[in-house]
Amino acid sequence: MDLLKQFSAVAEAAGAVLIDCQNPAAAVALIAERAATGGVLLPVSASCERAQLAEQLKKAGVSLLPVDRVQAADAVVGVTSACFAIADTGSLVLESTAEDVRLASTLPTHHFVLLDRSKVVADGLAAIEPLRRMHQQSPRNYIAYITGPSRTADIERVLTIGVHGPKQLTILLLDDWSSDFLEM
Amino acid sequence: MNKQRSQQYKVRVDQAIATPKLQKALHQFGDAYMVSRGKAFTGLDFEALRSEIATMKTGVRVNHAALLKQFIQNAEAAGATVFQAKTAEDANSYIAELAKKKGAKLAVKSKSMASEETHLNVALEKAGTKALETDLGEWIIQLAGQRPSHMVMPAIHMFKEDVAALFSKVTGQQEPAEIAHLVQVAREQLRQGYLDADIGITGANIAVAETGGIALVTNEGNARLASTLPKVHVVLVGIEKLVPTLEDAAKVIRVLPKNATGQLLTSYVTWIRGAVPCGDEDKELHIVLLDNGRSTLAESPHCQDALNCIRCGACANVCPVYQTVGGHVFGHIYIGAIGIILTAFFHGLDNAAEIVRACIGCRSCVAICPSNIDLEEIILSLRETIGDEEGIGAAKNLVFRKVMRNRKLFHSLLRAASVLQKPVTKGERTIRHLPLFFSSLTEWRTLPAVADKPLRDLILQKPQRVEKPRYRVALYGGCANDFLYPELGLDLVTVMNALDVEVYYPQKQNCCGVPALYSGDKETAVELAKQNIDAMLEGNPDFVLTTCPTCTMALQRDFVEHLKDNPAWAGRAEKLAAITVDAAGFIVNQLGAADVFSQLASSEKVTYHDSCHLKRGAGVWKEPRQLIESSGHQLVEMDHADRCCGFGGSYSLTSHPDIAKMILNDKLGDIAASGATCVAMDCPGCMLQIRGGLEKQGSSVRAQHTIELLAEALKNKK
Repeated sequence: MDLLKQFSAVAEAAGAVLIDCQNPAAAVALIAERAATGGVLLPVSASCERAQLAEQLKKAGVSLLPVDRVQAADAVVGVTSACFAIADTGSLVLESTAEDVRLASTLPTHHFVLLDRSKVVADGLAAIEPLRRMHQQSPRNYIAYITGPSRTADIERVLTIGVHGPKQLTILLLDDWSSDFLEM
Repeated sequence: MNKQRSQQYKVRVDQAIATPKLQKALHQFGDAYMVSRGKAFTGLDFEALRSEIATMKTGVRVNHAALLKQFIQNAEAAGATVFQAKTAEDANSYIAELAKKKGAKLAVKSKSMASEETHLNVALEKAGTKALETDLGEWIIQLAGQRPSHMVMPAIHMFKEDVAALFSKVTGQQEPAEIAHLVQVAREQLRQGYLDADIGITGANIAVAETGGIALVTNEGNARLASTLPKVHVVLVGIEKLVPTLEDAAKVIRVLPKNATGQLLTSYVTWIRGAVPCGDEDKELHIVLLDNGRSTLAESPHCQDALNCIRCGACANVCPVYQTVGGHVFGHIYIGAIGIILTAFFHGLDNAAEIVRACIGCRSCVAICPSNIDLEEIILSLRETIGDEEGIGAAKNLVFRKVMRNRKLFHSLLRAASVLQKPVTKGERTIRHLPLFFSSLTEWRTLPAVADKPLRDLILQKPQRVEKPRYRVALYGGCANDFLYPELGLDLVTVMNALDVEVYYPQKQNCCGVPALYSGDKETAVELAKQNIDAMLEGNPDFVLTTCPTCTMALQRDFVEHLKDNPAWAGRAEKLAAITVDAAGFIVNQLGAADVFSQLASSEKVTYHDSCHLKRGAGVWKEPRQLIESSGHQLVEMDHADRCCGFGGSYSLTSHPDIAKMILNDKLGDIAASGATCVAMDCPGCMLQIRGGLEKQGSSVRAQHTIELLAEALKNKK
């Protein structure tokens, strides 16, 4: 699968960590391990609900915080799905119109993203077709391309990770997670 | 000319030149930028990408009214409130009124050059709203009470020690000058701001007519927070940021980060359309569409291409002047080459008048511009406008209008100079020291003496034995070749004769007009164009050869441009342009004769300096290298071979000698580091500058024109 390979290599070069997961249970274990010391934000999404991710995480001992502005600021980990990925820039596409997706992907220090291996397009131009459909699907949109963790080079042009957004971006690759390019 | 303004500007230049730490930082950034940019564009055709953007953006300019209407309709349908601000004041008062109405105490801002342009923060403070910059660089600048010195990296002129001192004042404790720590301090200090703020203000990199949405291209994540947490989101965006479709937006995004910082893509690209959910209600989204001079710019036939700019800042990254003095000198609010143009239209001609002269004309910005804007040409046209408004100065007026336009007078004065200069040349070919108030001219480079006899006389005495000439060509010498380096012209005759080409020298040729044009005197340039067209076409030559690439550009491009609307001259200008070619290019491309010199030279380690106008004007850089190598020299590339040498004609002599000297020093350093014993080039101006600098340093490296090296090689022919 060439596009997935290209995506993985470029995303890693941009500072993301990619982990192949055999099944959602493996993903849950990884998140639980990271969330041992703090709360987790898990916005509502079709793919996560289908996999009963919230229940699985709770069973694994994770403390899920209500996704509101007051508590979100204290979360350590945010977990979201991604609609699809873009190979040539190593980017994830997140339909983030629902505010809880934005809170979970901006405030915590660590952002985990669940991505179906089959949902990778070649480049930014190929991404436009699903992007346009997202615009047609709902009248108002907040759609994010995320490439690696938050970064800056504003002091002496030295690349430094984690200014305002997540300091870590972990991409969990799954099979049979979601086949719809518009689904989070 | 405004004396006080000029003096203040001079002080700023001097201060910047006395800050080597800044220059080092900007040079290092420029080098690292070129490496990462090269990687980012691997496998992509930059020329194709940028012509695509130029075509798309030009279409936007032409169809602007319809696209703007479409954008507004779609944005409003999605719940946004759109305000069209004619001026900066209109935009500021709209946003300040809104802040008052909301009783806003705090507004968080992500980076927006448009808000720098309008001085929005000042307007907000007056309305009782504190504006907090959250982009790290912008926050640093805000704490320091300065303005950005780069459009993408606003605090590029500051160092970690400066930042630590500023942050220590904020936290009330001593913050160590470690970059990772300082970034963490910013994260912690600014986080509460997003949660407390009543309003989030962002700019927009793109406004998409198709959707009525905007796109933000950012790295830090602050724009995502500023557009998510506060109840009110204000977008301040210039009306030139419109694109028709999402595909067009994708094309801009494909190029913007690569050309700005050498990143494949920024960490975040955020597409926002309409009033999205915010807590239990909808966000209040205001889009302020800023004109502030953009419509006037769109109407200017000579300058309108500047609206195609996508604000990547690359024109500064590669600019030798920017690397020498930084954006606080070479800019107003917008900096670098594009900054000169935008300043003239957004902040008035007066604010652009000094920096418009600071461009050395090397065209490195033109080569890197992702929208294919001919920045140099626009800057020249602005110089002309300012020349018309303010005058070009009495001395230049006299030289250009009274002397240069009268060829006989001009040339007799040059001949007289060769006699009058005797006391300072002491019979040598170069002037090492000039007396009195001229002394600064020879402090850092020697100057060539005016030759005893100009090329136009000497060439008549040189026998040419070409039995069956392939071509009969006219040599356009240009002033430097004619009066300073006549031996170069004679070498050209030798080389051409060896290739069965006969050379003649039209005696009525005059200066190419570039010095006048660069000084803002287009009228003289047009007059000289006519004189030269007459002179050069008179003998009906097969080709017109040049040894100076600046003259080449004048004959190939400028004359045509000057006279395109004049039916009496347009055709002849085009005829001259079509047969004009630089000497090295002629040998390789027209004659296919590079092999003639094969292994003739006594091999020497030669490095090649690309003259700005030869490489980025005429598109010639392979040909001279091929000639040097095939003639038997060992060609070693220096670093930054195509970076300007700092000559720039009157730039190094009168307008900006201090900057020119710094740029020359960079070049001399690169030449020395190459280990070559000879530096070759194809421009008498570069020869004057580089030879003068080497001589003043006491360097043993010689500076030669490629044609001179070929003539040397021919002497070894048995």
